[in-house]
Amino acid sequence: MESKDNSVSEALDNEYKYGFVTDVESDTFAKGLNEEVVRAISKKKKEPEFMLNFRLKAYEKWLTMKEPVWPNVQYPPIDFQNISYYSEPKQKKKLDSLDEVDPEILNTFEKLGIPLEEQKKLANVAVDAVFDSVSVATTHKKKLMEVGIIFCPISEALNDYPELIEEYLGTVVPVGDNFYAALNSAVFTDGSFVYIPPDTISPMEISTYFRINTEETGQFERTLIICAENSYVSYLEGCTAPQFDTNQLHAAVVELVTLDNAEIKYSTVQNWYAGDPETGKGGIYNFVTKRGKCQGEKSKISWTQVETGSAITWKYPSCILQGDGSVGEFYSVALTNGHMQADTGTKMMHIGKNTRSSIISKGISADHSSNSYRGLVRVGKSATNARNYTQCDSMLVGDQSSAHTFPYIETGNSSLQIEHEASTSKISEEQLFYFEQRGISRENAIATIINGFCKDVFKQLPMEFAVEAQKLLTLKLENSVG
Amino acid sequence: MSSTIAESSNGAESAVLDLHKKFIETNQPSPDFLALNRKALGQFAKLKFPHRKHEMYTFVNTKGLASAPFSLKKESSIQREFVEQHVYAGCERSHLTLVDGVLRPELSDATALGTAVMVGSLAEAIKDKSVKSLLQESIESENDVFASINSAFMTQGIMIRVGRDNQIEAPLQILNVSTGGESGPVMTVPRVYVHLEPLSELKLIVKYVGEGDNYFVNSVQDMVVEENATLTHIQVQADSIDAWHFSKNRVRLKRDSRYLGYQATNGARLVRHHNEGWLSEPGAELVLNGVSVLVDDEQSHQFIRVHHEVENCTSHQCFKNIINHRARASFDGTVVVNKGAQLTSSDQLINNLMLSDEGHADCKPNLMIFADDVKCAHGATVGQLDEGQLFYLRTRGLSEDVAKEILTQSFARSIIQEIPFAPVVEELNQTLLKKLEAN
Repeated sequence: MESKDNSVSEALDNEYKYGFVTDVESDTFAKGLNEEVVRAISKKKKEPEFMLNFRLKAYEKWLTMKEPVWPNVQYPPIDFQNISYYSEPKQKKKLDSLDEVDPEILNTFEKLGIPLEEQKKLANVAVDAVFDSVSVATTHKKKLMEVGIIFCPISEALNDYPELIEEYLGTVVPVGDNFYAALNSAVFTDGSFVYIPPDTISPMEISTYFRINTEETGQFERTLIICAENSYVSYLEGCTAPQFDTNQLHAAVVELVTLDNAEIKYSTVQNWYAGDPETGKGGIYNFVTKRGKCQGEKSKISWTQVETGSAITWKYPSCILQGDGSVGEFYSVALTNGHMQADTGTKMMHIGKNTRSSIISKGISADHSSNSYRGLVRVGKSATNARNYTQCDSMLVGDQSSAHTFPYIETGNSSLQIEHEASTSKISEEQLFYFEQRGISRENAIATIINGFCKDVFKQLPMEFAVEAQKLLTLKLENSVG
Repeated sequence: MSSTIAESSNGAESAVLDLHKKFIETNQPSPDFLALNRKALGQFAKLKFPHRKHEMYTFVNTKGLASAPFSLKKESSIQREFVEQHVYAGCERSHLTLVDGVLRPELSDATALGTAVMVGSLAEAIKDKSVKSLLQESIESENDVFASINSAFMTQGIMIRVGRDNQIEAPLQILNVSTGGESGPVMTVPRVYVHLEPLSELKLIVKYVGEGDNYFVNSVQDMVVEENATLTHIQVQADSIDAWHFSKNRVRLKRDSRYLGYQATNGARLVRHHNEGWLSEPGAELVLNGVSVLVDDEQSHQFIRVHHEVENCTSHQCFKNIINHRARASFDGTVVVNKGAQLTSSDQLINNLMLSDEGHADCKPNLMIFADDVKCAHGATVGQLDEGQLFYLRTRGLSEDVAKEILTQSFARSIIQEIPFAPVVEELNQTLLKKLEAN
């Protein structure tokens, strides 16, 4: 019995494949955070006045706040003065074609399997490749511009479309929302901005690849997506990071706004370095605030995430269902192995009438990892006929792993209907035996079972991502004893 | 905001400390008991009065309770008729009556239990080292501030011990009567310790009633169920409408033992049940079912922790709440499966039926699992009556009101009829279900 368990856990061991560092000279600030640093970031970015005020307000709030201690994760205290708050590759001038991009950067993307040019032509995906805080290449911009879609780094948008940023930035995640969101609001360097004008269906899926580069540089991304009336966009986010020995903090903020009848589909595949599998040392801390507001009637926000990396994940993509008849969805697969810790889930705040939400969460924990689902469904008095369905399933692999479920349900009217169910199970020896008996290797059997377990979530992903996500899980399950 | 919380809770804490000083002067507990009282008071000072940000009290607003100037009751008198009226059929010769937390032998009768059951005061029983160490341990590791207040003020308590291999046929009833205070709110601290020796069986019915108003019953019950023993524990909360009711039940289960718990809540100003169970040897089984029917401003809160400490144990929980008018119900339950507790089977189901827009139902069914070969599930629902079912009944010629009444009553009845003691089922049919009658 024990040896069988070992083989299952070995199946989940996997060296991080993308553990290499690109040597690009960075323009990096000295470590530490004070008001001067906040002003310097704003100045360096040549930001309008309102943005500086926004940052300063956030910084003031941040000073009064404490780090949250309620998540079910353990890590040594973070020294926020030991982080450099600004770093960018020297390459800054605008580029007309990909040929002008530093070949080393392109080479990095190549290794990550993001051949920009190929994707450009074949996959019909516009890629805003964020290379360590500053976007260096944006493709397909023109094609998007033709239909009026704005897709650019947020630093650019601050200069080109300040009125849009001023109207929406901080409306979904206020500057003082939580400790990490306040920090991000004060020091964020770049990120993506997307605006879909009314009555527009985005002609392609919009995608950004993130990559943390310079050692000990916290990355503070800020994403803002606005989808105007009767519009639709599908946004893809994927991450990989190089291997380092000191912890890297990533505190991003993502804000989504949908107006009447609009829909945003936001998909993430995350595979950051999770630390040494033996000791758990050196992985990335992923403390992210993601929130969408269904502001308009009958609007919809759908979050899909596949979390397979990071030493610690602290992430609750949420929906504020304000417009009548709006819909929120959350589909998640979180795989933890080694010494990873994940505390992830969602919040569905029902405010408008006839609002609906569904939550499907699949957690897989292996080795010494800990995987928690934490979700809130709150139905206000005004949210008549609200409907929620929640399903969170956990799968445990190995007797040293743990799985936790912390759902919060708060309701205040009589016309609502809420269902929540959770279950915990393991890959049974009978299932594996059945596969092996049919000549399918143990490794493939585990991969197939896990993929089946996650099917409900994978089928929500856009095609390219679904393939990538399945590959990722299988990759994690490689090295299986056949 | 934080400063006001700190101020008010400081006030409440010093009020308890002052009250405790008076308590020590007037009651002069025995040295053994005094040590326990003091230890508990120390624990109380550590835990402090809860506020809404306190994870264990997220849904419970203790504001009114913390600010009420409670005193302790000295003399209480009660009519024999009142007691008789609340003694269940079958328990006439097997009931213990506690008036304001103090055992009243003249109102009790335990003759039907025979010599197999030892009933005595806890003050005597703590001369036994095992009892004392268990009490001491639970006081030191207390996580509930109200239970530590109980321990700080307990005077004698009752000890019930069922001897080895004795299956007691007569159901034992503990009747808790609170008489309330005329001049101001009164706190009572009933304390019961139940010990079932190996292979024994006992059916225990604990009922809380109020003869007056304006009281806070703060009850703690410790239970130890040894190898192959079975304890059936039925708790009926039927306090006065403006009472505060806090009760904590702690149960420790040994090898192949069973605990069958049933709780019926009538609601009061604020009711909070805290149930904690430890399945500490293989083969133990814990069942906990509850029903509450709440109207007007009544509140009922359930807080549950089930610890699967070893392999091969099972636990089942099923709770149903019916919420009307401005009532509030909450459920905060956690099942913890420790490392190595393989082959655990655990399930938990909470159903809330909301009948009004002003009511509130909050749920927090948690799972914490540290072992891989386990089967754990939980489910929680909040909703209203099914329109299809209503339509069906109406096609059969029933008025809408009657159809609703039938459906709400059967929702509660599914738990009530499970209770393995007919007189309680009959009573709840009269009291709980009456609250759901049309108009």
